Amino acid sequence: MATAALRSQVAAKWHEGFNRLNRSEPGISGLLSFSQAWNIATDYLHPRDISDPTSVKHHDLPSVKASFDLINRSRRLPVMLETFLDDICDQYHLIVRDIEQYLAEYEESADTSVILRLVFRLVEWYRAWAPIDELGPTIRAAYTLTFQTQLFSILPPAFVRGFKALCASTLVPVAQLAPPMWEAFEVLGLTDRYEGIIASVGYERIEDYVRETCTGRWDKPCLEELRVWMTEQIVPWMLPMYAKGAGNTEDARGMLQNVGSRFDFHMNKTLCDLRTSEIFDIIIDFPDSNGALQDLKECLQRVDQRSSLVQALRKANRKRLLHPGADTKLILSQYVATIKCLRIVDPPGVLLFKVADPIRRYLRERPDTIRSIVANLVGDDDSGDSLVDENEPIQPLQQLETEDYNDPHWDPEPIDAGPDFRTNKPSDVISTLVSIYDSKDLFVKELQVLLAQRLLAITDDNFEKVEKERRNIEILKIRFGEAALQVCEVMLRDMTDSKRIDGHVQSQKASIVHPTIISRHFWPSLESSDIVMPGQFQALQTQYAKEFSTFKPDKKLRWLPHLGTVHLELQLEDRTIETDVPPLEAAFIELFSEKNTWTMDELIEGVGAVDRTAALKALITWIDLGVLKEDEENTFRLLEVTEEAAPSSRTAPTASETPTVTAAQQQQADQMRLYWKFIEGMLTNLGSLPLDRIQTMLRFAPGYDQTVEQLARFMEAARREGLVVGRDGMWKLNR
Amino acid sequence: MKVTVKHWHAVAQWRWDTGAEAEGNDENEDVCGICRVPYEGCCPSCKMPGDDCPLIWGECTHVFHMHCLLKWIGTPASKQQCPMDRRTWVTAERKIGNS
Repeated sequence: MATAALRSQVAAKWHEGFNRLNRSEPGISGLLSFSQAWNIATDYLHPRDISDPTSVKHHDLPSVKASFDLINRSRRLPVMLETFLDDICDQYHLIVRDIEQYLAEYEESADTSVILRLVFRLVEWYRAWAPIDELGPTIRAAYTLTFQTQLFSILPPAFVRGFKALCASTLVPVAQLAPPMWEAFEVLGLTDRYEGIIASVGYERIEDYVRETCTGRWDKPCLEELRVWMTEQIVPWMLPMYAKGAGNTEDARGMLQNVGSRFDFHMNKTLCDLRTSEIFDIIIDFPDSNGALQDLKECLQRVDQRSSLVQALRKANRKRLLHPGADTKLILSQYVATIKCLRIVDPPGVLLFKVADPIRRYLRERPDTIRSIVANLVGDDDSGDSLVDENEPIQPLQQLETEDYNDPHWDPEPIDAGPDFRTNKPSDVISTLVSIYDSKDLFVKELQVLLAQRLLAITDDNFEKVEKERRNIEILKIRFGEAALQVCEVMLRDMTDSKRIDGHVQSQKASIVHPTIISRHFWPSLESSDIVMPGQFQALQTQYAKEFSTFKPDKKLRWLPHLGTVHLELQLEDRTIETDVPPLEAAFIELFSEKNTWTMDELIEGVGAVDRTAALKALITWIDLGVLKEDEENTFRLLEVTEEAAPSSRTAPTASETPTVTAAQQQQADQMRLYWKFIEGMLTNLGSLPLDRIQTMLRFAPGYDQTVEQLARFMEAARREGLVVGRDGMWKLNR
Repeated sequence: MKVTVKHWHAVAQWRWDTGAEAEGNDENEDVCGICRVPYEGCCPSCKMPGDDCPLIWGECTHVFHMHCLLKWIGTPASKQQCPMDRRTWVTAERKIGNS
């Protein structure tokens, strides 16, 4: 169906093509010479099998060049290139064969040198197939691209594994064969293609090294050492890859900067992760773990891991610290260590604030927190390591302050600070501990109780202890203020006064009684007792009181017979026993000197009124000493002659360990009892009253400071004792 | 059996010997009529109880902290009278060993 126009068109094209190939040669000689040139060129370029020595052909380079020249002149070079590239694809099975062979060997031996040989072999292939340089960079680039694309498409996953192992093997120690290897990588384009893998080799090496060298090593900072290691080990390794073609060290440094900082970051992060996971133990080890904390501080500045540190520490605290199994003292000392540690890591205190919050809340719920803190303050700690750092200057408790915006050194709060974070947090440890509670009064009260216990335990043999207490109180005065500790001052003066008075009384009339004379109202309420000391004790008391009144005519003594200690000597028929006992024990044994057998009730009557448990405890003391024996229940007999120790039928009642000084909590109840009179009066006059009405009226009573809840608890207690009845929220007297 | 007391570390409280008083009642203790602080405490201007803040006895049998009373007597409104019964204040002789 060809029209004339089409025919002429085809003819024109054909003619043009012919002319191009034939050039201006006569006849078809140009065409012939082109065909010959094409054949030479394609034959030259044809990818050969390098493992087959027979395939090596020798070409006459000038004629090859001439051929390419001819093709170029006919502008058939692109077609030539296409044919060449197609040939490569066709021939690639040769390389695939080789790769498979090598990888099979590698799988078997897991020897990275096999991979290395494979790489070199691939380079051989690449070189063998490369077109001559005269063809220009374009063709060369096209060839490289095709070769690499093919290569990457056929490299199996096994190669990647092997490649990684190969890279890793060059790391330790830095191998000498490295440069040719990196060159080969470069030639094959492996460096670009597998950059991620090479980098991950570096990262893994860093991680391993950091874990290996730094785990559990907290005494000195590791970061510096790690940096040195990095420069010595990792940087030379990186050089051929990342700083290829760098003429001098300056260039190399510039090229390495980027990747180097990435590696440095990774090192920081690894160390930071490691320290974060160890943080709880680091705090336990403080101050021996100072180095680790310095590292952590530096790392946190580079790596944003603060929140994960907080998380980790909070979790560890919850799991290891804030549970019923942990001693309050332990929690406190860990808390203090946490304060000190986090102050190093993060001076503004944001981390501390976040971590401390659960600890503080937990401590507030513990009943003995205050006691522990105060015990520590006065150095009552058995363990001997004080919460308070001796180097820390003693300073008054700091109150939370509102921000001072006139402060020229004012800094905004750190960016991750929570809404209730305060920059002006008390900075010394004691202030921080005291601030767990809203008011310091509780501490002062507890301090008084503790001081009273300690002072009363002092006998005149070791009077220097009073001086020690005085020093303590002086220090505490700086913290809590003079006024708060005035009462303690009176207590201490009572101690010295007692000694002076006793000295005087003894000089007038020697007595074996050496009392501590205290100013009531200034000592925490001491449990009252109605013991009447029998026999010679009574005589001793009266005598001493008389001497005292002669010395201080306007004063008299009132004994607190249940306090103190008595040193006794018992002369029995076959033995003498010398021992230190509380007064109640002494009173009982005094009774036994009258007659040998007593019943419990007789004994209790003999010393006035005493709690049955306390009496039993006192008697058991003697039974344990082998002085008394309980023949039948509640009947005790003096053993003038030792008897075989019968198995003690009774064990000491557990609840008998009565503290001689009432704890602060108990005091509160006592205080409430004082207001019972008011309540009783109210209910007598007004019949029945609701609780809040009672509370309102009690407010008029001087010094009444109880809350409704406390009142409710008290009324409940009164109801249990049968003093009042409560119905429908109304209370009335029970009669 | 013979019990010998070698040494007794006892504890006692001191009280002012105010003469007439119901012994042994802790609850109804006497307070200074001026400052309402117990006698064994100290007046508001003192810090140490006892000899540093003594009591003063009046002929009218009323007893106060000495500092409290002197302060009262020092004010013109007092007209030198005992604050309790408005009789002219006469300090009683200390009745040493009279009981």
